[in-house]
Amino acid sequence: MKNRQIQGRTIKKLGIIEGEAVVSRDLIAFWGGTDWETGEIVEIDHQARGKNVSGKILVCPAGKGGAGDTFGYFYLYKSGKSPKAIICNKAQGTTLAGALLTNTPMLCDFEENVIDVIKDGDQLTVDSDKGIVTIKKK
Amino acid sequence: MYLNDQQKRMLSGEEGVGVRKAMEILIAKGEAEGAKRMVDIVYAHLMPADTMFFPYGRQGKWSRELTGTLTEGVTHLKVPATMEPKFVDLEKAARHMEFSKQLVAEMESIMKPASEYYESIGVIPSYTALPFLIFPTKFGQHVSIAESIAILWYNTMLGSRCERDDGVTSLSAAITGVYPEIGVHLSKNRYAEVIIKPANNIDVTQFNYTDWDAYSLAASRKCKEKTPVFIDLPPNMTFTQKKHLLEVIAVESGLAIMHIVGITPEANTLEEALGGKKPIAKYEITKSDIDEAYQIVTTATEKSVNYVFLGCPHVTLPEFQQITEIIKGKKVNPEVTLIVSTNRQFFLSAQDMGYVKTIEKAGGIVVQDMCIAFSGTQVSGTIATDSMKAAFFYTGFSSKTKRRVRIGSIKKCIEATISGNWNERS
Repeated sequence: MKNRQIQGRTIKKLGIIEGEAVVSRDLIAFWGGTDWETGEIVEIDHQARGKNVSGKILVCPAGKGGAGDTFGYFYLYKSGKSPKAIICNKAQGTTLAGALLTNTPMLCDFEENVIDVIKDGDQLTVDSDKGIVTIKKK
Repeated sequence: MYLNDQQKRMLSGEEGVGVRKAMEILIAKGEAEGAKRMVDIVYAHLMPADTMFFPYGRQGKWSRELTGTLTEGVTHLKVPATMEPKFVDLEKAARHMEFSKQLVAEMESIMKPASEYYESIGVIPSYTALPFLIFPTKFGQHVSIAESIAILWYNTMLGSRCERDDGVTSLSAAITGVYPEIGVHLSKNRYAEVIIKPANNIDVTQFNYTDWDAYSLAASRKCKEKTPVFIDLPPNMTFTQKKHLLEVIAVESGLAIMHIVGITPEANTLEEALGGKKPIAKYEITKSDIDEAYQIVTTATEKSVNYVFLGCPHVTLPEFQQITEIIKGKKVNPEVTLIVSTNRQFFLSAQDMGYVKTIEKAGGIVVQDMCIAFSGTQVSGTIATDSMKAAFFYTGFSSKTKRRVRIGSIKKCIEATISGNWNERS
């Protein structure tokens, strides 16, 4: 199958990153919703509960949570369990601040809904300079 | 993006390293979101990691390093600022919440110098989750707020303008006095997209405070990241009811603003809230949505309760009144620890009105200045609370421990405080 490319908007130009997708269909929180020691999504009744974001490329509609979410992401990054990049529909403020603070590539505002076009295990090439994600299906 | 001479000076490092870094952070955020310029802010509410975000262990070290990096050479702020509650009251509460003497000493070694520093640069030591009581700004004014319910409150109740800011961004804004003109700082991004209304089978006028949390959770699960407008809610909703309605959606959604027709200054009518556009969707909150919200948050199965935590966000005077009406003349069960957490203003009034004495006489603990939602996550045993925002935190954080939570009205919580058992039908 031919690789598919989707075009979005990049938050910061940080080069090209490759990795495996982990998809959360629900909004995701890093302070409380995710275990910063392990990278596991732990929020109760969350669609992606039990999945692990560590070392993966996180695909989600947007971030949520309290205003502390940026520190949650910072702690996750400091413990070495943060995702390699974040691909989302909407760059919510506290998630955006977390990505900027830790130099995590983040892309948003795609024409497609990212949680519909990308599935768990897809191999992604994220060009954060151009805002392009190349999807190689699992 | 365009910078004026004063903003260029701050970026040049002429005013010190910390000011330059703060400017760099705000410019990065602005450029990420396509800002054309900075706007002046009139006020900021800060959320320091080193007084609030588990200030011990390796994260305590990280938070101290982070603050050190951000505040190098900063001796004053450009706008008035208040700050979030501390993690825990080290004298009155910590020992009742399973924190060891050693951990208390460690927390003190991080929190104390941090608080002293923030106060030295002019931060008002408000230690409150309800800063809008201390610094209510005007319609159209720009502010930077790091506290989820307060972000919603400033936009939704006052018509002031703030994005979903965090500890780093709000500190940078306070240091420089400016904020990039992005998100809901722009009128075009403030309109509602979806409608939320109560279904015929619920009567919101009969809601207890926690029912508003359930309504809020149900609404956030429907609107997700879309800005909602709430219709058919009583225009005379009280302060405490509004606190409960806003607190849950504030953490369960990624929203900086919501609208309530008849209450939000920009929502005198439904059409005004929607900006003349058609809504994307209309959702009704039904009886089963409310019941489902309670079920989601309840993770305990056994009846016994070990902790009753009230005050996320801080307990208000009508809530104090409800607590004391039930607990007066009774005793807290020996197996239960009751902590009632409020802010300085309400604590003083509650003292004057005899509420504090009544709760303490029953064996409860009344504290100010602390975050019962964060410190409460560290206890073992079953927690009962009236706040679904607190429950979001109690049930989260760790993949190893499964914390057991009971959720219900103040009446249910205080009855469990006395009996030691949760009674769903009480």
